[in-house]
Amino acid sequence: MSHLLELEGVSKRFGGVQAVDSVDFFADPGEIVGVIGPNGAGKTTLFNIVTGFYSPDAGKINFDGHNLVGLKPNQITRVGISRTFQSVRLFAAMTVLENAMVGQHTRTKAGIYGALFNTRRTVNEEQKVHTSAIESLSFFGERLTPRINSLASELAYADRRRLEIARAMATEPQLLLLDEPAAGMNPAEKEGLIELIGRLRDEKGYAIVLIEHDMPVIKGVSDRVVALDYGKKIAEGSYDEVAADPQVIAAYLGKAGSEEQQ
Amino acid sequence: MNLRSALKPGFVGGIVVVYLSAIGMVERFQDRNVITGLVGLGVVLMLVAFAITSYTAARKSDSSLLTGVAVGFISGAFVAIVTMGFEGLINAGLDVRGMFVSITPGLLETLEFGLNPVVGAFMMVVASTAVGAVSGVLVGLEYHLRSAVVFAIGITLLMSLGEPILRVTLGNLQIPTGWLYELGGLTIAGTIIVLALAFGLRWWWMSRADTRREAAAQMPEATRRTWGRASLMAAIVALVALPWIVGPFVSDVLGTVGLYVLLGLGLNIVVGYAGLLDLGYVAFFAVGAYAAAIFTSPASFLVTEEGQQFAEAGFTNLWVALPFVVIIAVVIGAAIGAPVLRLRGDYLAIVTLGFGEIIRTLVLSDWLSPYLGGAQGLTRVPAAPPSSFDLRNPQHIYYLILAFSLIAAYISYRLVDSRVGRAWAAMREDEDVAEAMGISVVRYKLLAFAMGAGVGSLGGVFFAAKIGSIFPNSFGLQVSINVLAVIILGGIGSIPGVIVGAAALVGLPELLREFGEFRLLIYGAILIAIMIFRPEGLLPNKRRQRELHEGQDLAAVDLTKEGPS
Ligand SMILES: Nc1ncnc2c1ncn2[C@@H]1O[C@H](COP(=O)(O)OP(=O)(O)O)[C@@H](O)[C@H]1O
Ligand SMILES: [Mg+2]
Repeated sequence: MSHLLELEGVSKRFGGVQAVDSVDFFADPGEIVGVIGPNGAGKTTLFNIVTGFYSPDAGKINFDGHNLVGLKPNQITRVGISRTFQSVRLFAAMTVLENAMVGQHTRTKAGIYGALFNTRRTVNEEQKVHTSAIESLSFFGERLTPRINSLASELAYADRRRLEIARAMATEPQLLLLDEPAAGMNPAEKEGLIELIGRLRDEKGYAIVLIEHDMPVIKGVSDRVVALDYGKKIAEGSYDEVAADPQVIAAYLGKAGSEEQQ
Repeated sequence: MNLRSALKPGFVGGIVVVYLSAIGMVERFQDRNVITGLVGLGVVLMLVAFAITSYTAARKSDSSLLTGVAVGFISGAFVAIVTMGFEGLINAGLDVRGMFVSITPGLLETLEFGLNPVVGAFMMVVASTAVGAVSGVLVGLEYHLRSAVVFAIGITLLMSLGEPILRVTLGNLQIPTGWLYELGGLTIAGTIIVLALAFGLRWWWMSRADTRREAAAQMPEATRRTWGRASLMAAIVALVALPWIVGPFVSDVLGTVGLYVLLGLGLNIVVGYAGLLDLGYVAFFAVGAYAAAIFTSPASFLVTEEGQQFAEAGFTNLWVALPFVVIIAVVIGAAIGAPVLRLRGDYLAIVTLGFGEIIRTLVLSDWLSPYLGGAQGLTRVPAAPPSSFDLRNPQHIYYLILAFSLIAAYISYRLVDSRVGRAWAAMREDEDVAEAMGISVVRYKLLAFAMGAGVGSLGGVFFAAKIGSIFPNSFGLQVSINVLAVIILGGIGSIPGVIVGAAALVGLPELLREFGEFRLLIYGAILIAIMIFRPEGLLPNKRRQRELHEGQDLAAVDLTKEGPS
């Protein structure tokens, strides 16, 4: 049986640091996979490898019939993987709407010719870009839609995180990678996030992989949990199984000090 | 008010005037009439210096009149004392001019208003104090009134300084100018009329500002569009009529301004839209000029002996060459862009800096000299310009430059709000995220680079055709810097900004020719003033403005990150 996303023996080394160490990983449509692990465990690096920002030293990555190794990030977005960033990275000088519109880039075609002559196709396409951007934004209820003409930099922190997800949704992905989406959120906002991620799976049918330090969030949304430490996969299974795994407990206890600082 | 707050601006005003006097500017400018028979430019220069210092000081103080008077008094007293000091030194038989070449009897006479030294010194203090008082009063005035007064004075000065051009222009329009100008300056009656008219117009315009805004707000979309289109048409008609109104000399300046508009629009795509700092833009300008020369000059290596006559007759004319030149430039742009566009920010800037130099060095090299003329350059580009449309005539080539500038402006205007423009904007803000959004950063960088190259090469073609011959030293680093300065001065990413920037940066020095050796000093001072008062450029682009200001915000968070996280 083949999975939507499948990693086999993926490794990545930075100088003396083995950031990712022959990791096997998979995700299926309609599934939420939680990735946990202490700081520096290689979680973000794993995302960067899947999305093409880093090329793996070894290993295979397959997604929906495509071999991702060697593809550029923009090509990977095109085949259907979208992501958010651990540190929110919006286009701060663009409006909320424009941010979401950029997300439609891969799903549209207009080039110089269309822009210059304002062809019917371009006009229709711009219309579609607009509608679909609004649609992504309205997924968050009244959080973003009243502010579509505000600058992204004017949004409250939690809304910035939401906008980043909306922008990723606008690329019409099959797989969504969320890097610590709950960071900096208060408990009420985290509750909202848990519900939202559930809806993303149920209503949009995305496969979702999320990196999260917040255990209640992981517990609340994950169908399956994968734990990394020092680049290695140390446990995999349901939340309860992974949380009870002695290796995972040891990894977290050992790093408890540094975890606090974060 | 405390006196000490007036001391510093007072001395600044005094020192500025003494400096301007000591370098000879005041005396030289005094020969130029501002209001004929009343004031020369030298005196105006002094008064303006007094006015600016006392006005700015008065604005910061709660008792503006007192501060203005005090600053004016201190400035004038300073100048008077220095003047008397020099007078004394000269009387004591010292060779002052051995050191201060410009401290001439003529200058002292100007500084003493042609009176005896003691009365003159007194007059200087009176004049500066009066200017200070007027500035102080101005600050206290209600906004509309103040704005109208300043506007009227400014317009009058401009009218007077613009005399060489305005008189010719009005003459061309069959408008008599005898009542307005006399001996290079405004007549007294003309001054009063201009002051009153400018004041009245400004007053009327501002008093109607609210109604106007309301009317604009209520205007239906269709009417507004009609208005917009009508004003665009009017602007184009004015641009078309311009060379015949202003005459050949100013037309030549307009042509040069137009060239820089074209170059500015091209570079604006690269720097303003795509956010790639290109310091070697002159390379494409050179490619355009040389390609045009190779295709159209009878001296070109492409022309065989049998073909000589053909070429002399001007067959290989510019129209045929134009598309090929642009294609060549675009290909070269893409070819040299491809390997370096992976670099970011400052690194890219340094490498592009090299491009400009490489092209110039190549032209001068033994290898390419036989083909490109080396230091001797290439002449007769094109050999026989079509007689009906003489490219060497500034009033003719202006239209060619205008047409292509309009096309370039239209292209920029259409692109910036399109999918392509959005991709550029995204890339400019954050390359990694743009990639993650599916934008092929390399591809869009190349696109911007190639388009910039194409537009820049057009500038080169018209430059070559305008001058008729090209030499390697026309393609130095200075050109790249000037074009970049045009877009920075106008406001990065803004199309009207490019036009205004080119007019200011290229037009200004031409119009300042009258001031001879002081031209560049004035020019530099104006540029500095513009950048101090309008750091985002004269007509900034809204979005770029936001980007410039986001400083400590969102994006700053990532500056410390190494990779995408
Ligand atoms: N671009 C890079 N260059 C060098 N080292 C890196 C780079 N990116 C990540 N690392 C290192 O790889 C390890 C894993 O980092 P990361 O994947 O960010 O961890 P986390 O699990 O906290 O997201 C860390 O030791 C980090 O310092
Ligand atoms: Mg991380």
